[in-house]
Amino acid sequence: MLPQLFEEDIQAFDSALQDLLIKTEARAVLIIDKGGFLITKYGSADQVDTTTLGALAAASFAATQCMASLVSETNFRSIYQQGETYSLLVQNVDEFCLLTVIFSAATSVGAVKYYAGATGQKIADQVKIAQKRDPQGGLDLAALDIVDTAPLFRKKKV
Amino acid sequence: MAIINQATRELQVKIVYYGPAMGGKTTNLVQVHQHVQTAQGDKGKLVSLATSSDRTLFFDFLPIEAMAIKGFKTKFQLYTVPGQVIYNTTRQLVLRGVDGIVFVADSQYDKMAENVKSFANLEENLRSLNLNFAELPYVLQYNKRDLPNVAPVEYLEFVLNNRDVQVPSFGAVASKSEGVFETLNMITRMLLHKFINEGVRR
Repeated sequence: MLPQLFEEDIQAFDSALQDLLIKTEARAVLIIDKGGFLITKYGSADQVDTTTLGALAAASFAATQCMASLVSETNFRSIYQQGETYSLLVQNVDEFCLLTVIFSAATSVGAVKYYAGATGQKIADQVKIAQKRDPQGGLDLAALDIVDTAPLFRKKKV
Repeated sequence: MAIINQATRELQVKIVYYGPAMGGKTTNLVQVHQHVQTAQGDKGKLVSLATSSDRTLFFDFLPIEAMAIKGFKTKFQLYTVPGQVIYNTTRQLVLRGVDGIVFVADSQYDKMAENVKSFANLEENLRSLNLNFAELPYVLQYNKRDLPNVAPVEYLEFVLNNRDVQVPSFGAVASKSEGVFETLNMITRMLLHKFINEGVRR
């Protein structure tokens, strides 16, 4: 399981993402949990539904891994889709995370992959630090208050 | 599995709607999407990866944020799986990282064998992902209660909810939004209580 993340983890992630964004002139970069959750993002992603993008990227990567095993290949590390304006790279980071880069179609994917590799290493290192901080994988939800017994989701009144 | 970001006080949880083909899994998500009361921006788009005939090909996806939870921004991601037997690999992919399950059964007598097969398939797929079904919160929904040839709830309970520990179950007519919110509220509450009570993830 992905360890719980604190301010210093997110800062380290953002710093690594910012560096990647500058080097690749990407539009946005995202760290995604392999279950489909968006962990953090950097860049001009306001116009992009990053929650859905995260879910789709994780599912797509999982499907690619499955295809890899069907052809007896264990090392499909990334998926890449070239567009007319923007291209998309989803790259494996570690057992928990994926790195997704939305970049100009005019940029060489080779360069993006090169820099993304180094960024992925920084992210993986920070995840290891987060794991060491709490090896039992504690989930501190002391601040979560569900004393209210009302249903969490209600139907709109017609 | 759920992820927690203490920096932004954000908890993200994954719920999968599972069950036989044409049982009403997608309809549940459509109804939640259409009728849920949320603050501005708390409900995402419903994304359906479906075939040209509207059968689920990969999954449906609906991100939604709970209104009533103080202290944490709690985001639930609702997924469906394709019910058709041939798509088992896809179901396994969607189940990765699942926190809770809603099993949507078709109440019609002639669908009972499909319900049982789908439930057994769920157990098998969870085992293949090293997930222990006994420790995973789940609820049962007996859908299509408005059709003429439905089995009594007691019968469905005997067939699908006949274990050491019985789980909550709900009759539903998903197409009319009946039972949909009751089911969703139960699974979300069970999940939050589990997280709070355990305090530790495996």
